Amino acid sequence: MRLGFIGLGAMGRPMALQLLRAGHQLELWARRPDSLRPLLEQGARACASPAELAGCAEVVFTMVTTSDDVAAIALGPDGLIQGAPAGSIHVDMSTISPQAARRIAGRLAEKDIAMLDAPVSGGVAAARAGTLAVMVGGEAGIFSRVRPLLETLGKTIVHVGGHGAGQVAKACNQMVMVASIEACAEALRLAAASGVDAGRVRSALLGGAAGSVVLEVFGGRMAARDFQAGVEARLHHKDFAILMHEASRLGCPLPVAGQVWQQINALMAHGWGGLDSVSLLKVLELAHA
Amino acid sequence: MKIGFVGLGLMGRPMALNLARAGHELHLWARRPASLEPFAEVHAHAHVSAAEVARHARIVFTMVADAPDVAQVALGEGGIAEGAGPGTVIVDMSTIAPAAARDIGVRLLAHGIDFLDAPVSGGEVGAINAALTIMVGGKASVFEEIRPLFEKLGKSATLIGDSGAGQVAKACNQILTGVGVAAVAEAFSFASKSGVDPAKVREALLGGFAYSKILENHGQRMLDRNFKPGFKSWMHQKDLRIVMEEAHGLGLMLPSAAATAQMLNAMVGSGLGEEDSIAMLKLLERMSGQE
Repeated sequence: MRLGFIGLGAMGRPMALQLLRAGHQLELWARRPDSLRPLLEQGARACASPAELAGCAEVVFTMVTTSDDVAAIALGPDGLIQGAPAGSIHVDMSTISPQAARRIAGRLAEKDIAMLDAPVSGGVAAARAGTLAVMVGGEAGIFSRVRPLLETLGKTIVHVGGHGAGQVAKACNQMVMVASIEACAEALRLAAASGVDAGRVRSALLGGAAGSVVLEVFGGRMAARDFQAGVEARLHHKDFAILMHEASRLGCPLPVAGQVWQQINALMAHGWGGLDSVSLLKVLELAHA
Repeated sequence: MKIGFVGLGLMGRPMALNLARAGHELHLWARRPASLEPFAEVHAHAHVSAAEVARHARIVFTMVADAPDVAQVALGEGGIAEGAGPGTVIVDMSTIAPAAARDIGVRLLAHGIDFLDAPVSGGEVGAINAALTIMVGGKASVFEEIRPLFEKLGKSATLIGDSGAGQVAKACNQILTGVGVAAVAEAFSFASKSGVDPAKVREALLGGFAYSKILENHGQRMLDRNFKPGFKSWMHQKDLRIVMEEAHGLGLMLPSAAATAQMLNAMVGSGLGEEDSIAMLKLLERMSGQE
């Protein structure tokens, strides 16, 4: 199938590669043409603009950072909407606000372009392995058509609901995950402050009811004091602004998430946004002599 | 003096009336014509747009809900900038994000329009009695020019600093009042659940270091179960959302404000949005099974 892909960052590049390897023709566009090179060598083609790319692809994937990025690519002067044929599909796999996803889908629908919001969880490792969790919002019929492509990228693919529902699920995912990282950091900090080996506490807990993927993976990095990203904390920081804004808009209290947000703010203040979110441990250590 | 006023809601209406009573000629625009009715008795002219207001008055006050409203009234289609002559000053008394105020100030300057951010504290009662506290950001010379008008609206007007500084001060005010109301509500909830009369606790505490206007005034209203606004919780929720989004941008940890913001979310979500923010006491009672 002829596919388009925009957003070849840490996540997007391995995802685009998976699609290429599955035998699809891939059209690419990037703000910085340099980032295209590795994929062009594998047979992908470069386009001059998102509009041009949309003209030669049945399904276009985007994987960028912010709501504004997606809006610019989809709706901007040289955007997908200018070149996409009626009946084509835009699958946005970025993490953006549910409201923005709904708004963009509405604008594309006016031109008979379908949209799915399909954010992912699992990080770079899962993107490379094609084992992402994909949470999808949009029409069921469109989802069925795109599902085989999503199966190339991920192993758990769930149609959550209408437009924006994928982003709602992703917001929930980020809340559970980062709050869990904070809980692990606090537990390991309590262990260390008590003069108990944090690594052994983690090992003991993994076998019990407090065992979790977060305790295993992120707790492991904390015990090893490995703060290199994984997932850059600044991205979780961005995601918290989205979900806390939604909470405010909806009148929905999120007391724990509200506190976790403050801890990430402190992390950012210390310039650790480029490190892994396990640096939340370092924030707690700031208050320790 | 000819003065423009846009935004004749709960706060704006008594403020504009105070300017009229001080002998100024008002030029008004309102989305809903009903808002203009209270001005039938004073020297006031209604116009079809904010731009038209600006054609008749060099100084225009705005008092609206949020940043997009200010931007629309100032810079949008039919906005003040369209009708503004040389030397026009916009005094925005709404509560909006400091970053938004700075941005609007810069964009207006490109039209040759001076901008003050001048949010207020004191609520509807303060607006009616011309007893508001006014916190101002902008140029000192512009502040001095407008100061005599501020004196008709409030009992104090302080130039805090450059553009946006008034909104920063207002954000600080909302942290203190929000967290303060939460603290009083928690203290009363704690006393009640312990089987102790919160009125007695309040009376005792008023003499000590925990004295505050919030304990005195808001505390009394909580004891009277008088949850009539005052200051509606949905507006306090909005103001703390501004605070928390600003903290996000600054990389700033505000744990108490964050907890209070979540309680305000719960109030709005559970139907207390139209009540005064002291209804936080009701929320706590509900959550702790004290109803």
